[in-house]
Amino acid sequence: MKRYNLIVVGAGPAGLCAGIEAAKRGMSVIVFDENEKPGGQLFKQIHKFFGSKEHKAKIRGFKIGEQLLKEAAATGVEVRLNATVTGLYPDKEIMVKHGDGMYHYKGDSIIIATGAAENMVPFENWTLPGVIGAGAAQTLMNLHGIKPGNRILMLGSGNVGLVVSFQLLQAGCEVAALVDAAPRIGGYGVHAAKVARTGVPFYLSHTIIKAEGTDHVTGVIIGEVDDHFKPIPGTEKQFDVDTICIAVGLSPMSQLLKMSGCTMEDNPRRGGEVPVVDEYGETSIPQLFAAGDVSGIEEASSAMIKGKMAGIRAAYELGFCKETETENSLEKCTADLDSLRQGMFAPGNKGKLIEKTEEGIPVSMNLLTKGFVADGEIIHFPGVTSQKGIHPVIECTQNIPCNPCQDACVKHCIKIGSHITSLPVVENPAPCTGCGLCVASCSGQAIFLVNENYEPGFASITMPYEFLPLPEKGDKGKGLGRDGKTVCDAEIIDVKSLPAFDHTNLVTMKVPAEFVMKARFFKAV
Amino acid sequence: MNDRLRDIGPFVPGRDDDLLICRCEEVTKGEIRQAVHEGMFTMPEIRRYLRCGMGLCQGQTCARLVKGIIASELHIAPSEVEPASSRGPVRPTEMSTLGNEEEA
Amino acid sequence: MKTTADVIVIGAGIVGCSTAYYLAKKGMSVIVLEGSNYIGNGGSSRNGGGVRQSGRNPKELPLMIWGVKNIWPHLSEELGVDTEYKQKGNLRLGKTDRHLGILTKLTENAVKCGLDVKMISAAEVKGINPYLSDEVVGASWCATDGHANPLTTTLGFYKKARELGVQFYTDCPVVQLRTVCGTMRQVITSEAVFEAEAVVVAAGFESKPLLDGVGINIPMRKVKLECLVTEAEPQMFEQMLGTAEADFYGHQTKHGSFVFGGHTGYERYAIDYANPSSSSSFASCTSRGIMKYFPILKDAKIVRAWAGFMDECADEVATVSKIDEIPGLYVECSFTGHGFGIGPAAGYNTAELITTGKTPADIQPLRYDRFKTAM
Repeated sequence: MKRYNLIVVGAGPAGLCAGIEAAKRGMSVIVFDENEKPGGQLFKQIHKFFGSKEHKAKIRGFKIGEQLLKEAAATGVEVRLNATVTGLYPDKEIMVKHGDGMYHYKGDSIIIATGAAENMVPFENWTLPGVIGAGAAQTLMNLHGIKPGNRILMLGSGNVGLVVSFQLLQAGCEVAALVDAAPRIGGYGVHAAKVARTGVPFYLSHTIIKAEGTDHVTGVIIGEVDDHFKPIPGTEKQFDVDTICIAVGLSPMSQLLKMSGCTMEDNPRRGGEVPVVDEYGETSIPQLFAAGDVSGIEEASSAMIKGKMAGIRAAYELGFCKETETENSLEKCTADLDSLRQGMFAPGNKGKLIEKTEEGIPVSMNLLTKGFVADGEIIHFPGVTSQKGIHPVIECTQNIPCNPCQDACVKHCIKIGSHITSLPVVENPAPCTGCGLCVASCSGQAIFLVNENYEPGFASITMPYEFLPLPEKGDKGKGLGRDGKTVCDAEIIDVKSLPAFDHTNLVTMKVPAEFVMKARFFKAV
Repeated sequence: MNDRLRDIGPFVPGRDDDLLICRCEEVTKGEIRQAVHEGMFTMPEIRRYLRCGMGLCQGQTCARLVKGIIASELHIAPSEVEPASSRGPVRPTEMSTLGNEEEA
Repeated sequence: MKTTADVIVIGAGIVGCSTAYYLAKKGMSVIVLEGSNYIGNGGSSRNGGGVRQSGRNPKELPLMIWGVKNIWPHLSEELGVDTEYKQKGNLRLGKTDRHLGILTKLTENAVKCGLDVKMISAAEVKGINPYLSDEVVGASWCATDGHANPLTTTLGFYKKARELGVQFYTDCPVVQLRTVCGTMRQVITSEAVFEAEAVVVAAGFESKPLLDGVGINIPMRKVKLECLVTEAEPQMFEQMLGTAEADFYGHQTKHGSFVFGGHTGYERYAIDYANPSSSSSFASCTSRGIMKYFPILKDAKIVRAWAGFMDECADEVATVSKIDEIPGLYVECSFTGHGFGIGPAAGYNTAELITTGKTPADIQPLRYDRFKTAM
């Protein structure tokens, strides 16, 4: 039986951050993960994260995972993979299955960071092959390079449903529709917008009636629902699909915590059965902590901070660091966490309909119900201006804590200010050089470079483009509007891929001048 | 104190009673609803009576759904339904592996 | 809220639920008080499922033999649930001469009570169960023993009792029993006082503090027992299994999974948590034990392990008795980890005792005042 100062279960963002903080303060730390690769959900996240520099904004999820692993190794954290913790027993003892054998370990302290599992929603024929969780689709695509299917219907418009829909498109799948029983999308508007402009239709207030097929999914029928989520007869719509992705939320994988006997609660706002914990994540059993999604569903950025807090607190309780240093570190973490939990999607606003932004601008209802901002609505936002010469157009219309665009522009064309949830403002006139760094820096892919007077009768629009194959200069095609419908002819006049853009290619198309504020995506013909 | 004879209304057959809820043990929505009306008001009782949650996934897929069905029949919030316990080994493990205790 | 009835039963395990059912069948009004939030949450949902006569202390044999003849054969039909009762015999295994000695003694005593049990050789054991290893040198064999599903059986009694109007309250721990003018009358909980002419204490080990409170001392202590279950396997054998030292037991269920109980040797020193939990080495230890008996099961996956507390009696014998010195008080406890098979018979006979003053089976040896010192 080997004993460590700290045992961490789960090498995801929360677990690794916890281990790093503890090891930095001199604790012997071992992290177990049942998967063959560490990083939890991070390695499936190929999109750029939101937030501020401290929150690793602009960096792709899997890169953050790589950074954490490097830091863990550098601080002396032992990470054991393919190691399943099969039980958490009295006296802070765990059993680990590794290879063909079982190993006993004891910890002076234990942090459980086992994350969450996908929820299911049953409908007729939901057990047919082809019905999979969105997270499973992500694992197939992003970890194993396998297309989950060819033509897919996504159920769920939270961030997972929206982000995975986009990744399905990137993997070469067709997304037939994005469906949610709720009346409004649950995730960020910018995530929805980048899916909608490729032509994927959104069906809010709809649910799946049944999957079609005998031994695998061949189609799906959806139907509209009323205020009580009951299907309305006569509103059925059919789609031919081979895959149905379910993204209807996550539930904490708290089995180990339940086994330990710590006080649990069933808290719908935290996602289900979670341990009752203090502000550092300590459960009712001293030196047993929970961090990350297992203690309440949020996302990776908050998981990292909660992991840090648990690691620092464990170190303090076992005498590895002094009170003042601990207090300062924990205060900083709390401040970071608070700054993340602001804006329209703050935990306190869950379920509420926010009608106006902090600036008093009406929130786009079209965005919330159809996935794209209507042409008439977009002009009210401070990121959208009409100017001579090239300038950024920022279609960021919701208050979320995020500001990489501000730092990206060396000419200070973009201003958010100290209140990180403020909508970005584009200076008018903007001393824009057309470098495109702002376009590449926006994790929501909501920034475009626009030149209304590119040449007589034509405007140019530079878009963030993360699909392969890349268009080529001279390609002719169609400009699609925010709703994904064809609005005009378009020709590619430039394609730029620089290391500084980190795989967000800048594709510039030429469109008839009157469509400069309408066309936002390109489709080759 | 919980009155197990309290009136929860009659069992009304539903259109989707044959919907599979526990995939591992093939338990349907109707069976779960009927069991509640036979007195099984908690997760452990439903599990012991019908086997849902006893399969390979030990309820990871169906527990939340079962809870919702029980809650609906009892006219309470799902968070008020008495939960099931979790026990090790939390992943199915071969006897030969389990029996092979090694030194770390 | 209903607080008075003809009979109050404390404890909603197999014993309490069957007692309540049989009483209700005879037209009595019954209230069952269960301390936890769940029906059958004690030994009733944690045991190895044995329905056996062999291997018991002879004192229990009359009641158990009566139960196998009169209750178990038609129980599924009567309750409207599948008790999964299978009467395909019980092999009680021995690995050493000392084990064989223990088994022989048990067998002789049982034969005297009229039980059809006999000692068989290693070869005969293999003939009945070809999957057993060469470690087994002999066994006792009782063809009329068997096994059942304790979960569905217990809940089946509960369901049927409820249908007959038995009032069950869960999350209702009993704090005290109170006599009125020397007669058992009141059962006190934190929320209400219940009254009846007869009170049956069937609360496993938790019977002890209540009985102590009225001056009845059944010498019991709480000892942990642990079990595990595998995933479903193809049907291999139908007998109930046990061992001479009762350190390994189990059967293959209708579902195909194997339920086995085992023994680490540290059960008596277990940390007492309100919710009994498996110890870290139990599943490993028991897996090794199972593989020694059944090499073929080495790749079977264990999906769950759990623990429970038995109410171990000083003489390891059940107490099913009227408390003569306190009229109106009845006790069914100290089943010492083998209460499932005998539970329904205990319930039936207690119901008869309360309603008619007589029992169809001889439960005299199970009296509460049977305890004599060593010298």
